[in-house]
Amino acid sequence: MTQYGFHFDGTRCTGCKTCVLACKDKNNLPSEINYRNVQEYGGGTWTADAAGCWSHDTFTYHVSVACNHCEFPVCLGKCPQGAIQKDDETGRVWSDPEKCIGCGTCAMACPYGAPKVDKEQMKSVKCDMCADRVAEGKQPICVEACPLRALDFGDIDELRATYGDLAEIAPLPAASETTPCLVITAPAAAKPAGDASGTVVNESEIC
Amino acid sequence: MDGFATAFSEITLVLFTTLAPSGAVGYVLMSLPVLLEWATGEARVRLNRLSCLPLGVAMVGLIASATHLGNPANALYVFTGVGRSPLSTEVFCAVVFLFLAGVFWLYAFAEKPRTGLQRALLVLIDGAALVFVAGVAFAYQVDTIISWSLPLVPATLALGAFMGGPMVALAGWKAANCAEVPGCKSAAKGLVAVATAAFALSLVAYGVLSVQLGALSNELAAMADLVPSYGAFIVVFAVVGAAGLVAAARAVAADLAPRPVACACILVFTALFVMRFAFYATHLTVGLGV
Repeated sequence: MTQYGFHFDGTRCTGCKTCVLACKDKNNLPSEINYRNVQEYGGGTWTADAAGCWSHDTFTYHVSVACNHCEFPVCLGKCPQGAIQKDDETGRVWSDPEKCIGCGTCAMACPYGAPKVDKEQMKSVKCDMCADRVAEGKQPICVEACPLRALDFGDIDELRATYGDLAEIAPLPAASETTPCLVITAPAAAKPAGDASGTVVNESEIC
Repeated sequence: MDGFATAFSEITLVLFTTLAPSGAVGYVLMSLPVLLEWATGEARVRLNRLSCLPLGVAMVGLIASATHLGNPANALYVFTGVGRSPLSTEVFCAVVFLFLAGVFWLYAFAEKPRTGLQRALLVLIDGAALVFVAGVAFAYQVDTIISWSLPLVPATLALGAFMGGPMVALAGWKAANCAEVPGCKSAAKGLVAVATAAFALSLVAYGVLSVQLGALSNELAAMADLVPSYGAFIVVFAVVGAAGLVAAARAVAADLAPRPVACACILVFTALFVMRFAFYATHLTVGLGV
């Protein structure tokens, strides 16, 4: 089995959200559902010293995140229907619409907010790492669309060999929660997972 | 981010977790006069036949929970997850309890039911009912949901069941004219005592929980922003719950007069509903989920 995964290069991402829109376009998603989101994490303050000089410790950076097709997906473990499965050949975590009852347990449990309940279909929907494209030897559409080449996709072992094995920076949860198939090249301002000095500042863009 | 929106979107589950556990505990308590042979003859027959009352309360909750499903036709797959998924286990426990209780209820209409068999069945059903309550209490024990995996969360659901259950049992005993059964009044006082103890423990548990929840946050939201009025929920629970228990005590003093029994049920279930609503409003995962 080849476990596929994503690499996100935070030193390249500008937060343009082309990956988000390419995914929405390819999957014909409604306005209230994104399979991929770009989280803008920022914080810090400006302070004036006694002489009136201002200094700051502000920071902001972007993290593009979709389903990480985790090695231990909590959505799969908690799905009461056994509808969420892990593909034996690619490690893809996918939801079987024939079994799904739309109860939303997967959406509630995932620490990445990856599965969503489509209110029209009343079924769980999520990133399937563009299984159709991957089967044709292509890259997922988000990876191909990224103008900065900040996303990469492939055998997770090869990605880790190439880019390292960092899989957690704020605002993502600790990798130990679900062992995501994700490799991150941290941006310069990156804060560790669990950091409380910043917040997701583009909350209204995320769905 | 607003916890109210989450709670409103899960309102059917709020209703389910308010009614079903109390219905199950109510079933257990209502069956005690038969199980312990306080009730004999006609009183026993009435109690057995009216076991549909707590069963109905539990079933209304279960039906409510099913309405939030998009594709209930696929629901049979739920049994593939028993033991793996807490929700599957919960549903399985519910089915076992409802099936056994349904069989018992049908058998209550037999011309010459065997009382030994009925009591044996009741032991099984009461066990299944308590396991079901535990199943509901632990249904959301998911490590990644930091607000719902706190140790006191299942305890509050179980305590709520032991607060609402006695009210269901009181109503059942009233419907079965149990006032004539020897020892009924002292047993009814016992029910109010159980509910009062559960209420007092709930208040302590919710107080501790509010402190624990107040410290929680993830990268998207802090609990203080998500449910700023958690303390107000507890106050409403305390006031309405206390009023319900006073009504229950008055009902017992008045030989299970129907009006205070009804008042007690309505008030206690309202109090429970408020805190179940607050529970769903507090959904927060580690990381990026609210």
